[in-house]
Amino acid sequence: MIAGPSGEAGAPAGRDDPRALRIGVAPVTRLDGDPSLSLAPAPDPATRLPQDGVAGPGLPLVDGAPTNVRLERFGEVRARLVEIVGDGSTGPAARTDLLLGPVRIDRAHGTRVREVVVGGWRIEVEVELERRAVLRERARRGAGAVVLGGPVEVRAIIPGRVVAISVAAGDAVEAGQQILVVEAMKMQNELRAPREGAVERIGVAVGDTIEVGDLLVVIH
Amino acid sequence: MTPPFSRVLVANRGEIAVRIIRAAHEMGMQAVAVYSDADATAAHVRVADAAVRLGPAAAAESYLRIDAIVAAALESGAQAVHPGYGFLSERATFARAVEDAGLTFVGPSSATIAALGDKLAARRLAHSVGVPHVPGTLEPAPVDRPEQLAAVLAAGSSVGFPLLVKAAAGGGGRGMRRVVAADELPAALVAGSREAAATFGDGAVYLEREIIPARHIEVQLLGDATGQVVALGERDCSTQRRHQKLIEEAPAPGLGETARRRLHEMAIRLGTAAGLSNAATVEFLYDQDGSFWFLEVNARLQVEHPVTELVAGLDIVQEQFRLAGGAPLSARALAAADRAARPGSHAMELRISAEDPARFFAPAPGRISRWVMPAGPGVRIDTALEAGDRIPPEYDPLICKLIVHAADRAEVLGRLRRALDEIEIGGVQTTLPFHRAMLAEPGFAGATGLSTTWVDSHWDGATSRATAVRAALLAAGLAELGETAPDAPTDIPDATLPGAARRPVTAPGRAGNISAWRTAGRVGATDRWPA
Repeated sequence: MIAGPSGEAGAPAGRDDPRALRIGVAPVTRLDGDPSLSLAPAPDPATRLPQDGVAGPGLPLVDGAPTNVRLERFGEVRARLVEIVGDGSTGPAARTDLLLGPVRIDRAHGTRVREVVVGGWRIEVEVELERRAVLRERARRGAGAVVLGGPVEVRAIIPGRVVAISVAAGDAVEAGQQILVVEAMKMQNELRAPREGAVERIGVAVGDTIEVGDLLVVIH
Repeated sequence: MTPPFSRVLVANRGEIAVRIIRAAHEMGMQAVAVYSDADATAAHVRVADAAVRLGPAAAAESYLRIDAIVAAALESGAQAVHPGYGFLSERATFARAVEDAGLTFVGPSSATIAALGDKLAARRLAHSVGVPHVPGTLEPAPVDRPEQLAAVLAAGSSVGFPLLVKAAAGGGGRGMRRVVAADELPAALVAGSREAAATFGDGAVYLEREIIPARHIEVQLLGDATGQVVALGERDCSTQRRHQKLIEEAPAPGLGETARRRLHEMAIRLGTAAGLSNAATVEFLYDQDGSFWFLEVNARLQVEHPVTELVAGLDIVQEQFRLAGGAPLSARALAAADRAARPGSHAMELRISAEDPARFFAPAPGRISRWVMPAGPGVRIDTALEAGDRIPPEYDPLICKLIVHAADRAEVLGRLRRALDEIEIGGVQTTLPFHRAMLAEPGFAGATGLSTTWVDSHWDGATSRATAVRAALLAAGLAELGETAPDAPTDIPDATLPGAARRPVTAPGRAGNISAWRTAGRVGATDRWPA
């Protein structure tokens, strides 16, 4: 997590800016440890750059701190992220070539999602207004108290066809136990229980074709 | 030169179907494609002179239907059938059905495929001609007979653990299971047999000792109707993940001429004993003591055949068509075989697949939104895709083969790195991050760490991805700010940045897999094109 303290009392400068954004990895492609960060335009566009005394535009705030990072666009898709650490005297700028896909609106989550490809990694990035993200987090924390230890939904991360189901509703499962087998691209992929519990519901049957995000199993 | 046939049918899909149709067209032959409903608008259908629908998307109802393919060949007036790789390419019953229909099968005869394509029969053949094979069983394991359990366990302990359960009809790691202890063996046999039956229609499995660390080295053979068999050279395909090849190169680095001649001779001895005609590949494991162990024969064209083509200087698919037409080994093939132990250049192939290297290379099918392929000297791309195409989940996830050719291995690596910098694929996750990292890996770049188990034990996709995630978040956010707030500060000319003038030209500054040219050399270009 790159982000500092979340937007409660003492929020870092910049998050009050109505244009401030919260940026994270979209749910479908999120991996453990994926960070999110907040980004706001420079509060003072006339900020001077350190050392050289040249007047220039201010720096955007990343997690509340001015960060010497900018994006160069080469047409609609190609772009390059240029990031200078410190005052730039310790080394060259980090230049990262990347591809920016078009923005699509995720209506289910009310966010804007953009595909970014970096070094061959395809990352779906979710962008929403910081103010809205804070509200959503509060709502989730409130709901979290109620569903603590509640059901876990296991959803498909790859499309394919269900070829075997190893458990039935009501079965007790251990963390890591095989639940079902999905065949995709000629490979049989074993899907395992994320935690121990009882199988509350199975959302698919053997032979079903599944898409990413389909509900497979609910473990209580 | 008169082409061996006037019209040929290509019983495959994807890049290999396109590659075979190209060879046919270059020789002046017409090509007939076959397709499933998922491929009705695919490239191989478009470039062919005619196309015949086989059935629904599932391979069992389309590309695996022997009757439908033979009927398509007869109806379209094709005289020969090229099977490509995968699907029916190693089914003796398919080759026989083609032969029985009075057509020519472009590959070894059905009898040779039966003798070589069945891994168990091939192991017995190697045994009989004195080619050392990987220790293990020579008969199918009795999977469906519980009363034979004790015999299976005894066979397992005599082979030794860890061992591999392998499909007699297998290839590409399908139907294969690694077993580290005796109590896992029965379940592994059932699982391997089930996958083998689902993939190949044949559930026979056997046991083989796992030789690690080892390199995977294979020999490309060509044979003609007179019984003459030659070796065009060997390929090193050690960089694998769960027995799926990811990178292949020719020649195998570090082999001396003597070892090379010994290896080629063993492959030729085996191919000759099997009565090989047309093309086949003999696979060996090369252990740390310098011994070669026969693994299996692929009695068909291999995915990685282009690296041999580039080093040997001939077109293997065109040679296949000529041999299938009854011609003897060509002067070009014989000359290439003469040079095979003293190769004069180097080639390497990266198999780029729609797979997620941060998620154990799980298939990642989808629709391609952007597709820019590299070009320039020494670069060959074998693919059937373009932007807008959907990668169907029903078939192999290979989307493109990037093959480069240069004078030696060091030049090949440099050329590959710059070609990888040029590739742009959007819409699906690919294995590109893995390939970029591999080229920066000292053990791979120096060819000192080649091993079939290297990827499974070393590759850390999640860590590699984490650095990319931060850049992606910043870029997406800045792009959004730039679009919603035109006065956003994204336009700082390089020269005004502190430290710009002092920036060392050779400083790496970034992950090692990005060339210095990229980090330093394009500063000027950047200045000419402000954002």
